[in-house]
Amino acid sequence: MIEVNGIKKKFGRKKVLKGVSFTAEKGEITCIIGINGVGKTTILNAIMNLTPLNGGEILIGGEKINKHSYEKITFIPDAIIMQPNMTIAESMQFMADFYDSWNQERAIELLDFFKLKEHEKINSLSKGNRAKVNLLLGLALDVDYLLMDEPFSGIDIFSREQIAEVFTSHLVEDRGVIITTHEIGDIEHLIDEVVLLDEGEVLKQFNSEEVRETEGKSVVDVMREVYQP
Amino acid sequence: MNVNFNKRDPVYVQVIRYFKEQIATGVFEPGQEILSRRELAGRLKINPNTAQRAYKEMEEAGLIYTERNLPSKITKDEHVLKSVRQELIMEAVDDFVHSVRSIDVPVDEVLDLVKEKYESTSDGEEVQND
Repeated sequence: MIEVNGIKKKFGRKKVLKGVSFTAEKGEITCIIGINGVGKTTILNAIMNLTPLNGGEILIGGEKINKHSYEKITFIPDAIIMQPNMTIAESMQFMADFYDSWNQERAIELLDFFKLKEHEKINSLSKGNRAKVNLLLGLALDVDYLLMDEPFSGIDIFSREQIAEVFTSHLVEDRGVIITTHEIGDIEHLIDEVVLLDEGEVLKQFNSEEVRETEGKSVVDVMREVYQP
Repeated sequence: MNVNFNKRDPVYVQVIRYFKEQIATGVFEPGQEILSRRELAGRLKINPNTAQRAYKEMEEAGLIYTERNLPSKITKDEHVLKSVRQELIMEAVDDFVHSVRSIDVPVDEVLDLVKEKYESTSDGEEVQND
């Protein structure tokens, strides 16, 4: 489990996180929703230990984050960070050289799943396919937790469907997934936990299936109540 | 396999309902193997934990069964199969009565209309021969 306990972060005078707390379980998909831009990526960066905090703590499997945490988690940014003139195969090789946890077998399986061709250059790919390569490079690492920043943002419907499908497959398996998004759209049925964020605070955390069961509400219904009281 | 999920009912409940419909209409036959939980989740693009929940509930209700490590199958229990059909019919009737009541029509007038409509559609003929 990832436990985020009251984390605070300031950039200059601006308080970006004002004591954010939530939990994310292994084997579940937790979705951090924030309609007003700020904070989501900072939270992911904090879990990755990439940004010093002004308060609070983060535990992974009961342990405070430390320099070994990255062996358990990976962060998939919202856009691919490989050199654009690299081929898919070269970027895979780059990851393999860099990370001990690289799983070549799974990488090949993902290539096949996304119907991508190894020899293609990243700058020749469509936006949707670029997003898939980006995801592939993260998912192929053998880690317990996957953090993804806006994996569904700005890509076509068919790529979105394919990405949604990978979440349900053995390629994600029983790992813990945290994704951020600013619009829930067509992934309501895909996620377990929802964390609603606004102005650097968590307004509500709930289980999507539970809220349907006990209150007969969709995730969007709850968002409407929370964000537009 | 294509299910139009609504966003306000629990997904596992909607999955179970889909299975009941397929069983009642004979699309899923008694003893037929069904998809694994993971396959179902992928096909319907739903959370694997939800697919798991639906299968667990169906197993407990006797709609499906699993022997050893083999794929799960649709029940062969006549009693269960009959009650599934009965349940769906009663649900449809309840919904129908509910919506007709709200527009305040005499029952005889409605029944005549129902028969007329039923006979004019091919879907209806199939059920009639049943």
